[in-house]
Amino acid sequence: MKPYRVLIIDDERLAREEMKRHLLAYPEYEVVGEAADADEAETMINTLHPHLIFLDIQMPERSGFELLESLDQVPEVIFTTAFDQYAVQAFDTHALDYLVKPVREERFARAIEKIRVKMATRTDARETQSLSHTLFIKEGEQYHFIQVKDIYLIESTGNYARLFYANRKVYIKRSLNQLEKTLDPALFFRTSRTNLINTNFIKQVQPITGGRLLISLQTGEDLTVSSRQSAVFKNRNKL
Amino acid sequence: MHKRGKLSLYWKCQLIGWSLASLYWNFVGFLGTGFCIWLAVIHFFADLLIYIPITHLYRNYSVRRRWHQLKPQQLLIRLIPAIIILGLLFMLLTIGKNFLVRYTFEAGFSGSLQEEFNERWLTTFVTGTRLMSIWLLAYYGYHYAQREINATRESARLAIIAKDAQLNNLTAQLNPHFFFNSLNNIKAQVIDNPQAARRAIDLLSELLRTSLYNRDTPLITVQQEMDLIRDYLELEKMRFEERLQTHIEVDQTITGAAILPLSIQTLVENAIKHGIARRKAGGSITITVHPNGHSLQATVQNPGTLQTPAAGGLGLKNLAERLWLQFNGKASLQLTQPTPETVVATITMPLT
Repeated sequence: MKPYRVLIIDDERLAREEMKRHLLAYPEYEVVGEAADADEAETMINTLHPHLIFLDIQMPERSGFELLESLDQVPEVIFTTAFDQYAVQAFDTHALDYLVKPVREERFARAIEKIRVKMATRTDARETQSLSHTLFIKEGEQYHFIQVKDIYLIESTGNYARLFYANRKVYIKRSLNQLEKTLDPALFFRTSRTNLINTNFIKQVQPITGGRLLISLQTGEDLTVSSRQSAVFKNRNKL
Repeated sequence: MHKRGKLSLYWKCQLIGWSLASLYWNFVGFLGTGFCIWLAVIHFFADLLIYIPITHLYRNYSVRRRWHQLKPQQLLIRLIPAIIILGLLFMLLTIGKNFLVRYTFEAGFSGSLQEEFNERWLTTFVTGTRLMSIWLLAYYGYHYAQREINATRESARLAIIAKDAQLNNLTAQLNPHFFFNSLNNIKAQVIDNPQAARRAIDLLSELLRTSLYNRDTPLITVQQEMDLIRDYLELEKMRFEERLQTHIEVDQTITGAAILPLSIQTLVENAIKHGIARRKAGGSITITVHPNGHSLQATVQNPGTLQTPAAGGLGLKNLAERLWLQFNGKASLQLTQPTPETVVATITMPLT
């Protein structure tokens, strides 16, 4: 089996050394790169596509959180910090694993075990890449991971896009066009200039005047599909 | 409170006060006619035996009712009837006593109690009211004064406790994060660079010792503070490597001057946190300590821009408060931005 690709991101060299040393005990993880700041890390993530990143929260200029926010596709993350819980209070801590430096071996082993289980179930289920597609978003003062497959509707609001998922609406600083490029076209369908829908959430499709379609989502929203996209939709689904 | 064999202040005042009053009456009698020394002695003891018990009974009543703890206005309302009653008692007992003494001891005395009363009741009542007023005034005046003194003493004591507690709460300590960072760096070097790891353990031990044992020292010398800062910076250089450069200039004439422990260190820590850790390329920190007139001035310069509001974090706020408390407002802390790319923190303390 090919090892998982790992990227270590920390502005302190010794801290990176320390993480590498921990990983020596786990040959199924291969450190493919090290980054000393968020910009360097962003480039490396986009080129090396690591499965897992070790990410220091406090870094110069852009924090670890800010880095994740800018990623179109977030890999598995193990946060590292030299600070206590107080440093991660901006995060929904239930959804996150973070290691406080220095890290005990047992603690490191537990974090790796958690990740191993997570990645293994994904492979077992033969989930496509799009089903594990994760975004990191900031809602007010709080950060969350969200699974792209849970988003049922995306609305354009200028430079921002509004994501609807699980009774929540959050804004993300990306245009709808930018966002569409990063999403799986088999899952998301562009109904009009301003909307993208998750096809898994479609409840009903009705024809309306002018050959257009009206799509009702399980969550209650009704969306009128533009003439052009109605044709695309019919064609795609052999209607 | 009351020790055996020793009279309390209250009893001394009772005895001396009433003795003087009685002696005065006897003196008046002496100036008049028909003075007799034996009668005077009898009057004297009779006076003490009457007036001390009345006022003492009153005092017991007042203590039981806690009247001495009342506010002046509330007390005054209760004192008016008290004075009248005490005045009446004084009048009845005095007339009775005088009649009894004269009837028993004065040869040829033939008046009746009724006559005696009719003749003297008003003057005796007025005298009694006056005396009792004086007694009450002295009694409550003493208590009020005592209470005032206690309150002042107590508030002074509380002020000292509060200041100590404040200083304690603000007690400078090295940032715990610094220790964990250093430990992590040591751990990282143990195998590849044991020499550096050993050095770091020595430095860290020294800092821990200072931090744990010298916490209660109110002032240390400039020399001690600078030694600590050098150790601290050496450890931080291990962490930031080439990202951290330092320059230190200390005027050699003031190395013995007393300063607040970890005051300059707090500025250095702040400079690293805001000036070095936040920049990819890091930068240089310059520390100077020199005399300035009758003050000592310490400055720490780092690259960066002042955040607005320039209040600074908790560390600087605590330092400013410690300076204020320790030097009674004669020390100060300032943050300035001399150029768009540098921030300077300055502490000024009186030179002692």
